[in-house]
Amino acid sequence: MLEIRNLTKRFGDFEAVRDVSISVPDGAFLVLLGPSGCGKTTLLRMLAGLELPSAGQIVFDGKPVSDGDRNWTVDPARRNSGLVFQSYALWPHMSVRGNVDWPLKVMKMPKADRTRRVAEVLKLLDISQLADRYPNEISGGQQQRVAIARTIAPKPSVLLFDEPLSNLDAKLRVEMRTELMRLHRATGATTVYVTHDQIEAMTMATHVAVMNHGRVQQFGTPADLVDHPETAFVATFIGTPPNNMVPIVRNGTGYKVGGRYMPVTPPADDCLAMYRAEAMTLSDSEGETTLPMELVETSAIAGRMMVTGLRDGLRLTAIVERAPEARIGDTVQFCLPQRPDSWFGPDGERIG
Amino acid sequence: MAQAAMGGQGRRVLFQQGTVLKAVVLALLVALIVLPLIRTVMFTLHPDTVKAWSDVLTGRLSKNLFYKPLGNTLLIGVVVATACVLLGGFLAWLVVMTNVPFRKTIGVMATLPFMIPSFAAALAWGSLFRNDRVGGQVGWLQGLGLDIPDWLAWGMVPTLIVLTLHYFSLAFTIIAAALATVNSDLVEAAQIAGAKGRRILMGIILPVTTPALVAAGSLCFAGAVSNFATPALLGLPVRMQTLSTRLFGMIEVGQVGRGYVIGILLVLISGAFLWAGNRIVSGRRSYATITGKGGRAKRFDLRGARWPLCAVAAVVLLSSTVIPVIVLTASSLAPSSANLFSNWTLHYWMGQSDPSFAQGIPGIAYNEDIVRALTVTLGLGLAVAFTGMFVGLLASYTTARFREGWASAAITQISFLPLLVPGIAFGAAYIAYLGAPIGPFPALYGTFALLVIAGTAYLLPFSVQTGRAVIQQVGGELEESARITGASFGRRLFAITVPLAIRGLAAGGILIFVKIVRDLSLVVLLFTPTMPVLSVLAYRYASEGFGQFANAITVVILFISIAATLIANRLQTKSQPWLQN
Repeated sequence: MLEIRNLTKRFGDFEAVRDVSISVPDGAFLVLLGPSGCGKTTLLRMLAGLELPSAGQIVFDGKPVSDGDRNWTVDPARRNSGLVFQSYALWPHMSVRGNVDWPLKVMKMPKADRTRRVAEVLKLLDISQLADRYPNEISGGQQQRVAIARTIAPKPSVLLFDEPLSNLDAKLRVEMRTELMRLHRATGATTVYVTHDQIEAMTMATHVAVMNHGRVQQFGTPADLVDHPETAFVATFIGTPPNNMVPIVRNGTGYKVGGRYMPVTPPADDCLAMYRAEAMTLSDSEGETTLPMELVETSAIAGRMMVTGLRDGLRLTAIVERAPEARIGDTVQFCLPQRPDSWFGPDGERIG
Repeated sequence: MAQAAMGGQGRRVLFQQGTVLKAVVLALLVALIVLPLIRTVMFTLHPDTVKAWSDVLTGRLSKNLFYKPLGNTLLIGVVVATACVLLGGFLAWLVVMTNVPFRKTIGVMATLPFMIPSFAAALAWGSLFRNDRVGGQVGWLQGLGLDIPDWLAWGMVPTLIVLTLHYFSLAFTIIAAALATVNSDLVEAAQIAGAKGRRILMGIILPVTTPALVAAGSLCFAGAVSNFATPALLGLPVRMQTLSTRLFGMIEVGQVGRGYVIGILLVLISGAFLWAGNRIVSGRRSYATITGKGGRAKRFDLRGARWPLCAVAAVVLLSSTVIPVIVLTASSLAPSSANLFSNWTLHYWMGQSDPSFAQGIPGIAYNEDIVRALTVTLGLGLAVAFTGMFVGLLASYTTARFREGWASAAITQISFLPLLVPGIAFGAAYIAYLGAPIGPFPALYGTFALLVIAGTAYLLPFSVQTGRAVIQQVGGELEESARITGASFGRRLFAITVPLAIRGLAAGGILIFVKIVRDLSLVVLLFTPTMPVLSVLAYRYASEGFGQFANAITVVILFISIAATLIANRLQTKSQPWLQN
């Protein structure tokens, strides 16, 4: 069980992490997801013990490891956790074997056990043949594997990853994603994984915490986030393509949806309506719920077409069967479904 | 105990992270740098000595004590700074942006003058250009029958020339580094826009490098106004005083209060110019060119001017490095500097004492003073290199790890403070600081410890700069990932930090070693017969008319400086398997 209670981190006047409370069971794969600067890396560094919280507690398996209220912390090495750095932080003057071996040496593991364990993790990550190379002699993907091998060698019960795949190219990233999930099953370690890539989050996580401006916007399973986004931020951050968010304004007796009067019944006067891309259609002519948009992008996705229109800063994306006849720059009628999928208040909170 | 209460694993963090380290470093820097300066100021404000201020600034003697030297000092500063920026900028442009022949050789040669002591060039100038105005031996050119006019032999003109030939290499280094960041895309974009060579230079390259030009100018200014050796050797015999020679003279004759006042004023002047330069630069937007790629694909084609410009560069570089070395070596072998290249003898190097020869002074190999000075100098260089790198590393580690807070800002500011303080004024401050006993601590005047402490403090800007480069090399995450394994501070230091940083540390240490071995201005006031150093001995011999001994010692210093630099280069390329490939 990994528990985070009311965790806050301040740097001077700036609150990087605000009152975060999350708890996941043993063996969970928790992803901290959010745009850059949202506080997710700071949260991870507090889990690793590199930063002391300003307030709140971190509890691993019922044992507190950091307590910001009492300025109390367990040293990074003694909390039974391991961290894979974004830059990998491989020691350039040690060979691959040396990098994996050194932390065990520091732990005072006997030599025979060490040799066995190093061979074991190198094999697990399929890099045994690289044991005597130096980090600058192997590729980025291989460096990544070494960094992971070094971290899991001491068998931590909590594994922490700081955007580990962001330095890899697209194809390798997909491979490593699978590899990491296999590793997670093999080690059974509770894993906390920081990323800004929602696809990574949705494919790997058992639990996701979406963060923005230091706060957790929503915490739940990937399916929860897609089916039932709690805030407008989550709704537009999760999903491929992202959900459409259309502003609704009361004007006299009717409501203007994206600038046009439409027969809708929103729960509040000013709010946001969320429409899923797959629920949108294109129409040849103006209708009751159509919005004229300038066509800016079309792209083929899994046998269907993703069509994006833009007008007055409003961006709409629809997934349709066939590409429209119109060319880029022409006006296309985007047809909204009769009822939006969800409603959000002007503050971004879900209202229906 | 909190540890026991919390399961024997945790610890209470009593202070914010880094507070203890910051406090220690700050205290160290205050003791090394701030206290000496304050103590000097306090000394001049003491009721017995406060009159020194009015003597220097408004008294009957003030014209000779302060205003005339001030005029000379400012003239030297302005002329030398201008000449250095022009000369250094010209060479940097040749090396970085054009296809001049022997580009690389010119680049290496242009960095050398700053590695040799400035008094070497001044001594060499004397051996060539001395005339009979002040008696003693005449120089080689006079000896050949040329009539060297006074203005070329002594005083302002030779001082300006010698200082320019010394400091231009500082300007070169700064400007060349800035020009190297102007990548060829920038120039090519201008070419595509239709601009021609001149237009590109005025419209793109100059504006982008202006901060570097200003920085180079203000550093050369500060260096020139605080230089002691050159005006002392070439100006003092004809009573040309600058603030630094005045300061030296005042302290030599025991008018310590007046000397300190002049020192404080010198600090204010050179500090004001550095500050103004900094303001000009920081007021502008920074033009760091932002790009990932971009090698220098094309160089500016000089066409017919290639060889003439190469010749100009060669004249400058030869006269600032090769010629002084040849002249000094020849002069240390020739009994008469009027006949530099005849009757050579090794007497000045290894002759036994002979009453008929140089008043019975034995050659430097048998001269106890000089042999002792050599050991002291080498020991001083090593000691300062170690202590300097230690403090520098500690300070830069602290500010890199714990960036927030006023203490880190203060550490950075204080560690660069000695840049504003001319060496001779710093030496004076240290006499005021440690010359007399403080509480239980004995007076350190005349001890090796004083030289080491003052040298460490004086060179802190360089050691902190080197330390910072080293820390950046080792990187935060490399050290953090070691911390996570549970390795102790010492273990991390020796298994991770030192192996990765050893190149930078060695190079930095040797740089400091060279700087202290060839330094004259700092140690000239701290010198005592019991604790002699080579550069001061050379200066003493030269001012007493024993040019050959001075030149022989200078050749030794040159040799040590160059050898140390070569060793540094060797160390850097020493086999490191993770860097090959």
